[in-house]
Amino acid sequence: MNSNKILRRSGIVAAVAAVSALALAGCSGGATPAASTKPTLSGKPTTITMTFWGGDARVQSTQKAIDAFEKKYPNITVKPQFTDWTGYWDQLATATAGGDMPDVVQMDELYLASYGNRGALYDLNNVKIDTSGMAAAARDTGKVNGTQYADPIGVAVYAIVANKDLFDKYGVAMPDDKTWTWDDYAKIADELTQKSGGAIHGTDQIGGFDAGSVKYWARSDGGEVFDAKGKAVLNPKSLAKMWQYELDVQKSGGMLSSSAITESFSAGISGNDIATNKVALGVAYNTQLTALAKSSGQNLVLLQPPAPKNVHPNSYKPSMYWSISAKSKHPAEAAALVDYLLNSEDAAKIILTERGVPANDKTRALIKDALAPTDQAAIAYQESVTPGKAPAVTPNGASTIETILQRYTQQVLAGQQKPLDAAKAFIAELQGEIDAAQ
Amino acid sequence: MSALGELRQLKDSKAAKGDGKAAFWFLLPWFLGLFTVTAGPMLASLGLSFTKYNLLQPPSFIGFQNFVRMFSDERLLHSLGVTFTYVLVSVPLQLGLALALAVLLDRGVRGLSFYRSVYYLPSLIGGSVAIAVLWRTVFGVNGLFNQFLAIFGIHGQGWISSPDTAIGTLILLNVWTFGAPMVIFLAGLRQIPVSLYEAASVDGASKGRQFISITLPMLSPIIFFNLVLQLIHSFQSFTQAFVVSGGTGGPADSTLLFSLYLYQRGFRAFDMGYASALAWLLVVIIGAFTALNFWASKYWVFYDD
Amino acid sequence: MTETATLLSVRPELVTQNPVSRRRALQPVRAFVKHVVLILGALIMLYPVLWMVVSSLRPSDKIFGDPTLVLKTFDIKNYVNGWNALTEPYGHYLINSMLVVLGAIIGNLVACSLAAYAFARLNFRGKRWWFGIMLITIMVPIHVIIVPQYILFSQVGWVNTFWPLIVPKLLATDAFFVFLMVQFMRGIPRELDEAARIDGAGHPRIFLQIILPLMVPALGTTTIFTFIWTWNDFFSQLIYLTDPEKYTSSLALRSFVDSQGSTDWGAVFAMSVVSLLPVFLVFLFGQRFLLRGIATTGGK
Repeated sequence: MNSNKILRRSGIVAAVAAVSALALAGCSGGATPAASTKPTLSGKPTTITMTFWGGDARVQSTQKAIDAFEKKYPNITVKPQFTDWTGYWDQLATATAGGDMPDVVQMDELYLASYGNRGALYDLNNVKIDTSGMAAAARDTGKVNGTQYADPIGVAVYAIVANKDLFDKYGVAMPDDKTWTWDDYAKIADELTQKSGGAIHGTDQIGGFDAGSVKYWARSDGGEVFDAKGKAVLNPKSLAKMWQYELDVQKSGGMLSSSAITESFSAGISGNDIATNKVALGVAYNTQLTALAKSSGQNLVLLQPPAPKNVHPNSYKPSMYWSISAKSKHPAEAAALVDYLLNSEDAAKIILTERGVPANDKTRALIKDALAPTDQAAIAYQESVTPGKAPAVTPNGASTIETILQRYTQQVLAGQQKPLDAAKAFIAELQGEIDAAQ
Repeated sequence: MSALGELRQLKDSKAAKGDGKAAFWFLLPWFLGLFTVTAGPMLASLGLSFTKYNLLQPPSFIGFQNFVRMFSDERLLHSLGVTFTYVLVSVPLQLGLALALAVLLDRGVRGLSFYRSVYYLPSLIGGSVAIAVLWRTVFGVNGLFNQFLAIFGIHGQGWISSPDTAIGTLILLNVWTFGAPMVIFLAGLRQIPVSLYEAASVDGASKGRQFISITLPMLSPIIFFNLVLQLIHSFQSFTQAFVVSGGTGGPADSTLLFSLYLYQRGFRAFDMGYASALAWLLVVIIGAFTALNFWASKYWVFYDD
Repeated sequence: MTETATLLSVRPELVTQNPVSRRRALQPVRAFVKHVVLILGALIMLYPVLWMVVSSLRPSDKIFGDPTLVLKTFDIKNYVNGWNALTEPYGHYLINSMLVVLGAIIGNLVACSLAAYAFARLNFRGKRWWFGIMLITIMVPIHVIIVPQYILFSQVGWVNTFWPLIVPKLLATDAFFVFLMVQFMRGIPRELDEAARIDGAGHPRIFLQIILPLMVPALGTTTIFTFIWTWNDFFSQLIYLTDPEKYTSSLALRSFVDSQGSTDWGAVFAMSVVSLLPVFLVFLFGQRFLLRGIATTGGK
């Protein structure tokens, strides 16, 4: 056959392949099938896939929990997949695009609306999962536009972490966290730096790197970041106030330099400056206390962040959720696994607080005594905090809020932009992303 | 004769059609690969650049909107600036160092294979997770480099965390991994017949003269190869920027290489249509540089066949 | 170039001897200075790597406080922990990496050399265009190719197998190596081809008996680079391998890092060192292929 003819034909094949690839890309979307009755367990040998992110500690505990589940349901085999946080979202997006989304999916608040609103997740009110042990406020964190796209595994609360050993070492009094203000915080931070002769700094960054800090400062002023309709309603003045505060404390000596802050944040929980005892104060979620304390080796305690009188800016942040794929072929079995992981005593005793302090009040009470002192302190802290009204879930299109925020924070801290201008630009960009995603 | 000149001749001569059949068979695996695994996805991505595609739902056709959007995309412009700086600084440095060391090592050094392995080692870990930690440890505020500077009383800043200098640390990382082109140069130097140097020495030529008149011309196809490919690779550079900046391109977008921006749009912002358009913009840019390279090669690349 | 052939046929010892030893031994002072410079350079180049190795022998919580290379403790705990940290012993992932790499190397060596021969030695219509297309395939970033490619492989049922990582190599999609080999081939004198043709050899024989043996440095380079790049490749392996049993070492390594919780950096470094070892060894021993000089059969 003439080689040119073959080549021409192959060109047609390539074009067909390209078009089919594009067309097949469309096969991944689709809404949850409207179910009049909930799917039931078939009892036949079934295999379901589950995916989650996490380090080796989580891999081991999850495998143990899966083994226990399989003992209870001998006809169901669970095949777990896992990778690190960043790789997880790349893998999940690609797999979903190709129609291969795993049955059970660990989900995060940043991406919940993105996946939910685009029809990739199952409506959990249509499957049998027992959520009676969970407070409604907690369960609602998994609702987007009225549909329950995910059930929360654990909740976390915003906190200040203080290194008591360093406070004692340099003779600074521990503050009264029920009444203190951000000005008090700044004074203490300056004092720590001074009294240590510069050996440590008073505090690490207190905001601008994770969305929770912005939420806290917005709510301290009585506002919110997003409204229920998914619009960015953040008041630029609140954000600017937060940045200006950091610039001021840096100037007075209480806070690390911009470079140090950036490096501290990118080092993660086990490497940041709280964990390496270079500062005596910083922000974190209560559930991160154990990891921080382990790396630090010193006595770390949780304090309530400063708040205006009679205002409750804090809120329950879901650490992570379980979701089910909208196109799962075995929704009943997937639901059984989720139900087991959220409710069973055995699973609770295996997982403990590895995925956060359990949102399920019953299991939380069950495991309390088996926990390490730092985990118990985290729970105690959570129970001492009065949360305000539940904030809206990060809307579709705003999944990159933290990357955008960090960029503006770095520009402000480096003196490249004034806080108020940056805040306005940040909100505009955020809204632009949300609009583009519709 | 130059690469271009030859190709031009090929196009004209009747004998050009002669080896068609043989060429077909030799190229068969490549054709197969091209039309099944490569061209299909490539054409698909080109198609996607005319759509709005969030990965989770079917793509929807939006015409040239993505391309129009590029003109008003400030971050894109900034990213191009960062990328050009990165490429135009690190590639010459990297190749220069690689060539220098290859020549040095080729000229009879005891323990050649040891040195070669040592200088190549950084390339092996260049893309790994550990590199981010290492680079932070060396170029951080309290890092090794600053401790070294402190010996001379110089107070160093956070090189990796300051928007002005972060890209410099990435350039350094790219240059640090010069081992790969170095190895290719070494292989190329091996192919230069010793007899040529012998004959030149007999004629009284100095080492320097030999380098200019023998080594460089004989090595020019390899230099050309390394130049073209290091340029292409550097424009596409992703892993190091990703790992060192934690995927953010920070601080303050100072390390936002083009591929990183593309990745952010495609996988983080679920904006795959626009990302595909950006990818093809990159192809055009790289294509232009490569074409330029090929055109210039007729002035300095010497082929022996 | 006939000079070469003549010279080499008259003095065959020039062919097989290591050219390095033949060159005039440098005067002692120059050699000494050279060594000092090289060693200093080596230290600067290696310091980060050495620090990583040393850190892997320190307890995890002491790693970041100590930038020196001084080893106070020789603690292999990180290696033991890291080896057993995931669902399989780490060796399992190393073997997976080996399998993928082996396939990739064979694929590249065979397919790329064939294609290179066509571009370097054959004349055919549209050669310039095909060469250009080949170069363009290198220029498209993987991040936008991966989704359509994934869909393609998913339809064929190859997701979660090693095939998407190997088959493209068998189909010479690594244009880098095609180009590399083309450049090397063009350095081989055509007279050798002519001589063989006069002897009645067709293209296949010329390819196998003349060109390939003279291409050993390029083939060696291809092997080494394919090994290293495939071994360290993360993104494609992440997307295509979903079953942790199939994870390669670069995927397994990432599983140690948990930016949201505590990362055992000691284990990360220890397993990084373990992952590096095969690559380094391959390079160390593979250098022999780069050492062999031109071995020409000259005049038979």
